Amino acid sequence: MIELNGIEKIYLSKTRDVHAIGNISTIINEGEFVSIVGPSGCGKSTLLHIIAGFDEPTAGRVKVAGKTVNPGTVPSALGYIFQKDTVLPWRSVRDNISLGLQYRSTPRADIDNKVAALLKLGNLQGFEDTFPHQLSGGMRRRVALLMTLACEPKLLLLDEPFGALDTHTRTLLHKELISIWRQMRQTIILVTHDLDEAVTLSDRIIVLSRPPSRILLDQHVSIPHPRDVFSVRDTPEFAEHFRTIWKVLGQEFRDAQQPADLVGGLH
Amino acid sequence: MADVQALSLSREDRLRTVARKAFWRRFRLAFWQVGLVGLAVAIWEIGTRIPFLSKNFNVFDPFFVSRPSAIILRLYDWTFGAKAGFLWPHLEATLIATLIGLVLSVSTGFVVGLLFSQKRELAIVLNPFIVALNSLPRIAFVPLITMIFGLGLASKVVTAWFIVFFLVFFNTFKGGMAIEKELIEFCRTLGANERQITRSVRIPNALGWTFTALPNAVSFSLIGVVIAEFVGSTTGMGYLIITSLATLNSADMFAALTVLSLVGVVLVSLFKLLERRLMRWSPEFREQG
Ligand SMILES: Nc1ncnc2c1ncn2[C@@H]1O[C@H](COP(=O)(O)OP(=O)(O)OP(=O)(O)O)[C@@H](O)[C@H]1O
Ligand SMILES: [Mg+2]
Repeated sequence: MIELNGIEKIYLSKTRDVHAIGNISTIINEGEFVSIVGPSGCGKSTLLHIIAGFDEPTAGRVKVAGKTVNPGTVPSALGYIFQKDTVLPWRSVRDNISLGLQYRSTPRADIDNKVAALLKLGNLQGFEDTFPHQLSGGMRRRVALLMTLACEPKLLLLDEPFGALDTHTRTLLHKELISIWRQMRQTIILVTHDLDEAVTLSDRIIVLSRPPSRILLDQHVSIPHPRDVFSVRDTPEFAEHFRTIWKVLGQEFRDAQQPADLVGGLH
Repeated sequence: MADVQALSLSREDRLRTVARKAFWRRFRLAFWQVGLVGLAVAIWEIGTRIPFLSKNFNVFDPFFVSRPSAIILRLYDWTFGAKAGFLWPHLEATLIATLIGLVLSVSTGFVVGLLFSQKRELAIVLNPFIVALNSLPRIAFVPLITMIFGLGLASKVVTAWFIVFFLVFFNTFKGGMAIEKELIEFCRTLGANERQITRSVRIPNALGWTFTALPNAVSFSLIGVVIAEFVGSTTGMGYLIITSLATLNSADMFAALTVLSLVGVVLVSLFKLLERRLMRWSPEFREQG
């Protein structure tokens, strides 16, 4: 589904160059749920940007569904959830969710049916005519997710989608995400700071190093599905996985404390 | 069941109490405001009737400041009294010029502002000129505008446009630039092409910023029209004020000023309402009650 081949990214600027991504190559299979973790600034968002075609790699090549990604063009059937709120504030919940369908000129009746189903999925019935500023942060996240799901993406890129939420809301959204993924089997790449979240949700966890980043660890998560988001963290497998990954990631965090290496390797 | 009833009753009671308090709060406010105006009018009326004051102080000399009763009489004359209908053509001329000037400046300011925020090259090439034009004392151009466009509607509209355009332009331009990159990228992932992004994201976003400028735009438009009427015109509220200066008729002057203030207040409140209506999606205009 996704092929990353020798991806490197250097941001050039007058004051100082940032060598964000050193060299990343990997293959992500169709239907996989992969989490990417790593120290802040190691280029996780940059990597997602490159996959989505928002940004150009300095070196290397990305293929999505067999096609090389062209910077400036978003691969088809790709969904992207930003850390920031990206719902349109001047549209009601209903009009936000139907946005992607309107872009596709879907017939009115089909839109209505689909929006009704999505509202149910996102537990937002009764909020159709509400404007985003009247919703809670967690509800806005759900609207953004539904906007994306309405377009039936085959590939979902999630950039710390639950970062700003409280534990309760976050856990509920984890549950929804797992059930959506189990129904629709999209390929999902989730960037997160939260190792708990990564182990709870994904099949595979990629740990990136400090910048210029490379893959430190590529760990399969062998906890069987269906997972219960509330109790999975009490299982011994969870603790085991958490320990293995934390050993690598924690060391990286510790090393990142020494600032000498933090900023780009060009000079 | 009984419990629910009791609860809902007390809820209604509470709502009633809240409503009653709100009413008295508003009443007190209105009372003081009306009282203040009444006091000023009373001092004005009585002060101009006390010989000691009116002889010694210009601000109490009815020759300069007229007096409320005279102004009200004059307004009655102009509308239904001795010179019935005299006011209407002037009021109409000012209103029409203000609204046309407003529509023209808001639409052009919006289009140019949005265009500039999208086309970087255009903005970079033309921005210095716009900034220069904006920093000129625009009122100094009104005589020139009158010379070119004559004594009628045209020069009033052009003056209003010249004053309001920049306000709307800068607001829209700022809004167009302030749009979040992520919002546009997100809509791209939803399958939008450039035209759809412009229609569904860029235009509504910029419109939000344009609407915020509306109440100011109305009052500036009115200012522009009145100044144009001062400089050279044969109709309008500004014309009435200038002729009453020429004839040293303070009752005429204050009658015209009163009408003009009312026009300003009404127009600005109307456009505040319109802004509220158009911007009801914005947290700043959260519906109350
Ligand atoms: N547009 C840009 N111009 C210059 N430098 C950039 C740009 N975007 C990102 N960077 C730099 O690249 C590095 C990686 O940024 P990125 O946002 O990908 O990190 P991240 O891993 O997502 O961090 P976080 O976990 O804090 O979100 C950072 O040092 C950042 O300063
Ligand atoms: Mg990031």
